[in-house]
Amino acid sequence: MTAAAKRPQRDGPTLWLARADLQTLVDVLWQEGYRVIGPTVAQAAIVYDEIRSVDDLPRGWTDEQSGGSYRLKRRDDEAYFGYVVGPHSWKQYLFPPRATVAVADRRADGWHMSGVERDEPAFAFLGARACELAALAVQDRTFLGDDYVDPIYRARRERAFIVAVNCTQAASTCFCTSMDTGPRCTGGFDLAMTELPDGFTLEVGSERGARIAAQLPNTAAAKDTLARADSARQQAVEQISKHLDTTDIRDLLLNNLEHERWNEVATRCLSCTNCTMVCPTCFCNSVKDVADLQGDHVERVREWDTCFNWDFSYMNGAVVRDQIRSRYRQWLTHKLASWIDQFDVSGCVGCGRCITWCPVGIDLTEEVAAIRETAP
Amino acid sequence: MSTGAAVANPWLAAPIEIAGVTPELAGVATYHMRFRDAKRHAQFRFRPGQFNMLYLPGVGEIAISLSGAGGLGGTWDHTIRVAGNVTRALADLGPGGSLGLRGPYGSWWPVEETAGADLVVVAGGIGLAPLRPVLDAWLAAPKRLGRCTLLYGGRTPDTLLYAKQHARWADAGVDVQTTVDRADVGWTGNVGVVPLLLDRIRPLVPKNTVLLVCGPEVMMRYAVLSGLARGLAKEQIWVSLERNMQCAVGLCGHCQLGPAFVCKDGPIFRYDKIEPYFDVEGL
Amino acid sequence: MDSKVLADVLAKLRFSESLPDEVLQRVAAASKLEGYAAGSVLFREGMQNDVLMVVAVGRVALDMHVPGRGEVRILSLGPGDMVAWSALLGGGRMTTSAVALDDTQVVAISAADAQALCETDPTFGYHLMRQVAMALAHRLVATRLQLLDLFADTPPAIPQGPD
Repeated sequence: MTAAAKRPQRDGPTLWLARADLQTLVDVLWQEGYRVIGPTVAQAAIVYDEIRSVDDLPRGWTDEQSGGSYRLKRRDDEAYFGYVVGPHSWKQYLFPPRATVAVADRRADGWHMSGVERDEPAFAFLGARACELAALAVQDRTFLGDDYVDPIYRARRERAFIVAVNCTQAASTCFCTSMDTGPRCTGGFDLAMTELPDGFTLEVGSERGARIAAQLPNTAAAKDTLARADSARQQAVEQISKHLDTTDIRDLLLNNLEHERWNEVATRCLSCTNCTMVCPTCFCNSVKDVADLQGDHVERVREWDTCFNWDFSYMNGAVVRDQIRSRYRQWLTHKLASWIDQFDVSGCVGCGRCITWCPVGIDLTEEVAAIRETAP
Repeated sequence: MSTGAAVANPWLAAPIEIAGVTPELAGVATYHMRFRDAKRHAQFRFRPGQFNMLYLPGVGEIAISLSGAGGLGGTWDHTIRVAGNVTRALADLGPGGSLGLRGPYGSWWPVEETAGADLVVVAGGIGLAPLRPVLDAWLAAPKRLGRCTLLYGGRTPDTLLYAKQHARWADAGVDVQTTVDRADVGWTGNVGVVPLLLDRIRPLVPKNTVLLVCGPEVMMRYAVLSGLARGLAKEQIWVSLERNMQCAVGLCGHCQLGPAFVCKDGPIFRYDKIEPYFDVEGL
Repeated sequence: MDSKVLADVLAKLRFSESLPDEVLQRVAAASKLEGYAAGSVLFREGMQNDVLMVVAVGRVALDMHVPGRGEVRILSLGPGDMVAWSALLGGGRMTTSAVALDDTQVVAISAADAQALCETDPTFGYHLMRQVAMALAHRLVATRLQLLDLFADTPPAIPQGPD
């Protein structure tokens, strides 16, 4: 169990937040000291950024996704959360793409090393999907689950307030039902909402969530409202068309490391790293030294890295995974198989981002199916 | 999720200095290290096979096995071949040089766990360095329960590491056998690859033998095959693996080999645990 | 020497330990034990030799003559290793010189006797040739590993990106 998942479920009634009061939620979160991050339209995509007003939200927009394709389209209603997921994930806030992790200073008696004192921001994530809650739990295992803990992730994760929003639609790339991660938000949130044309049902998932909810103009949701929310969520379930058969998937992949399909996919994969950049669970990183001109002050800067970068496996004058075949195999087997050995959980939450944002539309569910079909 | 005390920063190195340097071979030297902080120095312990991350600010950081302890007033040793930027900069530092250390990290050779067994230590080239603490531990043991054989191969006679200590080890009871790929005039020792020495060991009681192997991967592969051919079970064979280690604590992803993080699940693996991934090209 | 004693010696050597007893006895009957003092020559490259040898005690080095470099040592052998297989398969012309590195004893098997037995008794021939083939295969793998030059200092390549 992850720390986040341990948060008690409130037994209280599901509440109702009128559409006009969504701004109050945003305001209350800011007043409570949170930096509210949520969906907004930028560069022809729905991305995550600071949200001050509900006008920042992608009202009336939706996303159309398929392998290698992402397009924004107008909706025929004014829904705030009427899209699925974009290229961003909350990962970039908890595990920043670039961060100084330590410094070294040269003095007369030699080098002095120190950590970086900083006041990590308290984020409120507005609009987290069920697959994204699952991704947070997966990253909790990576960064908090062992003897060694990532201090930046831990500080930010502890402070983060999560407002989940249930999906009421699915993209053709979605397969959360295969990974048992959605589409319904069942835990790991402070508040969870389901959007309806006239407002939001509001579930409270933690003490913190209850404190925020208490500051909102809310009432208990009416019975027919709950039924309407149920059927809205059911829409998402019914729209999910993609499936990944996870039966014995760990052994399937690790017992087929020399499968011909790796050669085949390597002819399509560009090793562009997109899949790992948009993946909400990929965590590989590198630390590089950045020195001042005298070389007396050195910062150790951690940046996102990826197993698709050619020199990622550089060792003793050679690169272990010199071929794209090796790199794609590493990514897929890690994500779907060896992750289970390492963290007792799959590294895939079924969000479909890697399919959408692959420039050549490689679909990992198809790759697994191809291996399954022809595995000896 | 509890808001606990500040967690240790896995990236924070501690200042150490080079207390002395012992030249070993062309391009290879043993660096005797100590913490600048005496208290920290007194607390430093490691197990045979573990490694440290040596950090030269502004240059980089490398994983280097510990190759011994107890020299020069309680320093510990790293035997290092100049091979890249960091090792070259380290060689330039010399005695008194200041650098940083994180460690020790990783798994260890099963020295205590297999006390009483006959140890067959198979090393190739610089791969003897991480195994030297095993010999030190065997020699320091108060009671000799099993035998210890060192099978050590190098390219040429003048590249055999710790050559001066071989006789001392032999005098103290280790069966030291060396071999080279290329002999020179006057060499009357063995010629040929190390696994051949393993083929020839007599007597060898498979049930009571533990094989510890460190060297180039291809050498290890054939040493393991020789061990298996001699009747050892996979569970009696340990190998030392190397991958790109950066964080050393399983947080950066670089050193993966199949399901293993070589930095924290290794670098020392019992063979049966790593066999499916040991010999896969480009994994 | 008594062929029974020789059979006991052969039964403990890796080359011959897995031979069926009947085959082992006949090999022993065609063999004799030979001693070589350290430094003495068992045979020289290019000469004819009519015995297949198995090292019983000590070590034997195999050298090849290279003009300008003298004797280049290729391999050293120890107990259980086969020497002079060319006596059995290669017409008897030795491809290396063999020098005893220590005081050494070898079991010398008459190539003519062994060949005659192989011709007349296919079962014997199968077992003996199988051991020779396995020993040669093993030697070949070891030679390949030696050829790989695994301990060579390779200059560290700094990653420049894929070709």
